[in-house]
Amino acid sequence: MSHQVREQLGDFSSIVCLKSIIAGMEDALGEKATAIALIAAGRARGKNLAESLSSMKPSTSLEDVADRMAIALGKDGTRLLVIDKIVQEGEVIKVYTKETVCSAGEPLGSARKCTFSLGTVWGALEQLLGERLQGKHTESVLRGNTHDVFEFTKRS
Amino acid sequence: MINIIAIQSILQSFVSDISDIQGATLVSPDGLAIASALPERVDEERIAAMTAAMLSIGERIGRELARGQIDRVIVVGEKGYSVLVNCSDDAVLLILANANAKQGLLFLEIKRAVAELVPLLAEQPKANLLT
Repeated sequence: MSHQVREQLGDFSSIVCLKSIIAGMEDALGEKATAIALIAAGRARGKNLAESLSSMKPSTSLEDVADRMAIALGKDGTRLLVIDKIVQEGEVIKVYTKETVCSAGEPLGSARKCTFSLGTVWGALEQLLGERLQGKHTESVLRGNTHDVFEFTKRS
Repeated sequence: MINIIAIQSILQSFVSDISDIQGATLVSPDGLAIASALPERVDEERIAAMTAAMLSIGERIGRELARGQIDRVIVVGEKGYSVLVNCSDDAVLLILANANAKQGLLFLEIKRAVAELVPLLAEQPKANLLT
């Protein structure tokens, strides 16, 4: 990342603190309301991210979208998650991610689902593809899968 | 498939036929807009997420404070009412009314609107990403 918002500490903060924020929200608001808020926040973040990506060069192919999102969100970007690939199977767009901030630090077998990570990918895809989508977290590294998989279908 | 056109038409009539109603939106329990008849310059996506989150918090308060099943959540401001009503398991209805609205009449009209919407929502496949 080229920009730094803090003089000494830089742009990054520990996942431990983020988890505490989420745990506190869940305690006060409940898991469902927290999930709704974090997905909505993620979608807004993803939309902004996509706008900044689109300003460089318009995109139509899923491969190009995947490459750009992977850079923006991965090791050389904000480090939210790693995007390995985005594939289309029929009417379903599947995004294969790992090391998501949502699943990080969770015990194996945990029922936790990705919220902010899902929302960010969701918002970015909607903006880049110009379509309203319905998103869902279908496979989880916490439940024995190799990736956290997000599935998207067109929404009326 | 859910009949979006019919739902949109019910919401539109509800808002235009009753003078004190200013807007209405139907959202999924996970905070996605299904259909809306909201005032201009209102962010539909944000309102949808807020609506679902508010009802969820209302339900949590109901549980924590042993108030039983939540029927509706009402926010009363100096400029009017925001009423949130569970509309089957698949949707939440948000109604905006101005301060002149008579509460009894408002709730009766909301009840009627819900009765019209519920059969249409019964055709919707469940797609709640949070469960």
